[in-house]
Amino acid sequence: MGIETFGRAAADPGWDALARVAAGETDAFAGLVALHQERLLCLCERLLGDVEEARDATQEVFLKAFRKAGDFRPQGQVYTWLYRIAVNHCLNRLRRRRLVRFLRWDDPTDAPAFDPPDQAADPAAALEARRRWQATRRAIGKLAAGQRAVLVLARFEGLSYRQIAEVLEITEGAVESRLFRAMRRVEAAQETPTSRVTPREGR
Amino acid sequence: MNRATEMELMRLLHGELPPDRARTLRDRLEREPELAAAWKRLERSWNGLELPSPAPVPLGFAQRVAAQAGEQAGALSWAAAPGWVRAAAAAALVTGIVLGAGAGLWTGDQTPAVQAADDTSEPIYADDLAESYWSALDEIGEAP
Repeated sequence: MGIETFGRAAADPGWDALARVAAGETDAFAGLVALHQERLLCLCERLLGDVEEARDATQEVFLKAFRKAGDFRPQGQVYTWLYRIAVNHCLNRLRRRRLVRFLRWDDPTDAPAFDPPDQAADPAAALEARRRWQATRRAIGKLAAGQRAVLVLARFEGLSYRQIAEVLEITEGAVESRLFRAMRRVEAAQETPTSRVTPREGR
Repeated sequence: MNRATEMELMRLLHGELPPDRARTLRDRLEREPELAAAWKRLERSWNGLELPSPAPVPLGFAQRVAAQAGEQAGALSWAAAPGWVRAAAAAALVTGIVLGAGAGLWTGDQTPAVQAADDTSEPIYADDLAESYWSALDEIGEAP
């Protein structure tokens, strides 16, 4: 994700596509989905920590965008707007998930696991990678939804404070503050000894 | 170390610090061991955050989403209509029922013999109107 996809300076051809979507052109919508699906799927997966849930969420995000296409006013970038819908949608899912866990007395750190294929030829390296992913998931899983969003956007999407502020519709100061608090909690979580990692659990 | 300094370190890590302030902070990092230790800790935590590569996009994902949107577009026609259109449609239906019922009563008063002989026409007309009313309300999701 580069700076060119955000901000108000550059004209975004996505506006035209969105106007056609608002006029009911399903083909234009398919093009818009094809253009943004990879990054939105990736964002949802990182926010939710679960591939299947991320696919469902991304589909819902696009359908929400389809319904709202007529309301969209051409300011900023289409992608920022889609990001905003996706982040809010995922945060709502996370809040619902937390509520369900609270009602069930579940362990809040027992988040759904990623299920990536084994990419490393060396089993020890694969195990070590899984251990790091698990530690990251645990650390992120302990964050409040707003802090999680800021951290994921900054660390994994590579957005600047300004871009994050634009997506979340908050001030850059608020971004900085959330990120600061998130990192404090991450550091604390990273210092906590992790449980035993098995090849399939440590995802 | 105070919070302001920690936040400065974080801005430095994220490349959010203006060049002159970044240079000053880097100079301090070389002179102040406590600050340098905090910087290393922050850097380690940040770089330690790792997640696996995202899963590939499922085949035909865009087409499936677009097809679903197309299906929704039809179903959404009433829901997407402005409120005043929906209100006007409901009002027109209610007016139709009232007029229909009124006409039925008037006809019933004026021609009781015809009514007796041909008593199915008007109740059916009223039933149709009522049915239309409830169907339309169902469609726009406002049925009580």
